[in-house]
Amino acid sequence: MTRWNNGLDEVERVSPDITDETNALPARYFTDPDVHEMEKDAVFGQYWVYAGHANCIPDSGDYFTRTIGDREIIVLRNHDGEVQAFYNVCAHRGSAIVEETPMTDPGNARRIQCPYHLWTYDLDGDLASTPRSFEEAPLNPDLEDEDVPELDAEENSLMEVHSDRIGPFVFVNFADDPMPLAEQAGRLETELESLPLEEYQLARRIVSEVECNWKVFGGNYSECDHCQANHQDWVENLELLESELEVDDYHWVLHYKHKEDVDDEMRIHDEHEAQFHYFWPNFAVNMYGTADGYGTYIIDPIDEGRFQLVADYYFRESELTEEEEQFVRTSRQLQEEDFELVERQQRGLQSGAIAQAQLGPNEHTVHRLHLLAQEAYETYDA
Amino acid sequence: MSPQQQAPFAATCPDCEVTSDATEANEIVDFYRRHHRHTGHDVVVARADIAFDVPATDDVLAIVDALDARYEDGVPVGIVVAAASEQGVTVGETLDAIREVRLTGALAEPRDDHLTAV
Repeated sequence: MTRWNNGLDEVERVSPDITDETNALPARYFTDPDVHEMEKDAVFGQYWVYAGHANCIPDSGDYFTRTIGDREIIVLRNHDGEVQAFYNVCAHRGSAIVEETPMTDPGNARRIQCPYHLWTYDLDGDLASTPRSFEEAPLNPDLEDEDVPELDAEENSLMEVHSDRIGPFVFVNFADDPMPLAEQAGRLETELESLPLEEYQLARRIVSEVECNWKVFGGNYSECDHCQANHQDWVENLELLESELEVDDYHWVLHYKHKEDVDDEMRIHDEHEAQFHYFWPNFAVNMYGTADGYGTYIIDPIDEGRFQLVADYYFRESELTEEEEQFVRTSRQLQEEDFELVERQQRGLQSGAIAQAQLGPNEHTVHRLHLLAQEAYETYDA
Repeated sequence: MSPQQQAPFAATCPDCEVTSDATEANEIVDFYRRHHRHTGHDVVVARADIAFDVPATDDVLAIVDALDARYEDGVPVGIVVAAASEQGVTVGETLDAIREVRLTGALAEPRDDHLTAV
């Protein structure tokens, strides 16, 4: 049931089973600055989070940076051709090393060098060299040059972040001993790895700032009950009632059937449908029914009331055709329609009137999102 | 702010064609930094409703010098950005110019993202 803020401040847990009760995540988890701070560790510090696309760093020494919560990392391809992730923090005195480098415009380096005191690291993160001032101590009267300890390359390496891949998608995990990515991904891994995702190139990135909590947008993405009323152009060619929603432990898929079959060559996957995959906590893969390509969303929190939607589009060639340009414009129109909806929902949540909303019977994907958030908070508090 | 009211400031990315509204001038700078981090794109000021005249120059030192007396604790960087944008300068270009001048010692930052002439 809905719980208004009637002075009792009564809320309950997210219902364990949506067929029983339908409690949503209490409203304060969408509006409280303390929750935003807590989520940096409880959510984005514990689960596998998308870092970027391996195709953007094809050669040894290619790298980009990514900031997740307060953690800034370098994602790079080492000399063996493997993708690794490191904190962008020098082992010397903690300086950030490389400048922010987006995946859309990656850098390349033979070695990673901190500009502060020129500590230099190999592409596998090991300390490769330091200036002479770290090998001798002419300025220190209490220390002879021969007493200066030699710096161990591994002990003074960059701090590595757990990373793993599903096809070209690179994920990172900041937990000390994380569950395997395969366990968090479940069926998503086999579904995505059956597709030739590597054959497609990043062609376009559009970043938008939206005034709502990241989970509000995640919930909106996860259901299409709102589509008939709010995406009228898009649903015209869909059989919404024949859609399927498939829920796994940490991901869910929305399958949309097209009214008429479109050319098979117009899509990366075989089924005559569009597939929208949501992967907890904030990554989505969009398999379109009407374009030979796919897209990804990163739903990146800025604070409790804002997030960035990072929308990437992958096509056969990085140069867009006119049809692909039009496709991206249509996708953008859908995003803007959604932005209006989620900002309106955020205003309602922030009004203080509602303490806890309820979910509909077909919103089991949204329920999963809320349940995972609650479980993350409870695990963190325990 | 109600949805009907127009925010006094806005910035746009010409590449992405996305716009961000801002209540305070410095929010334009925050938007640029977040957007640049993800895309490498520069952004431009699309709207700057400033209650006073700004000097008609893109010289950041001259802008700060002219506006210094209006602010007790430094001119917001966003105001400098907005003033320079009147001369067609992007947000990223203005921030680069500010950094260059700061390294000469002619500009100081009494608090984060606020500038004063030395």
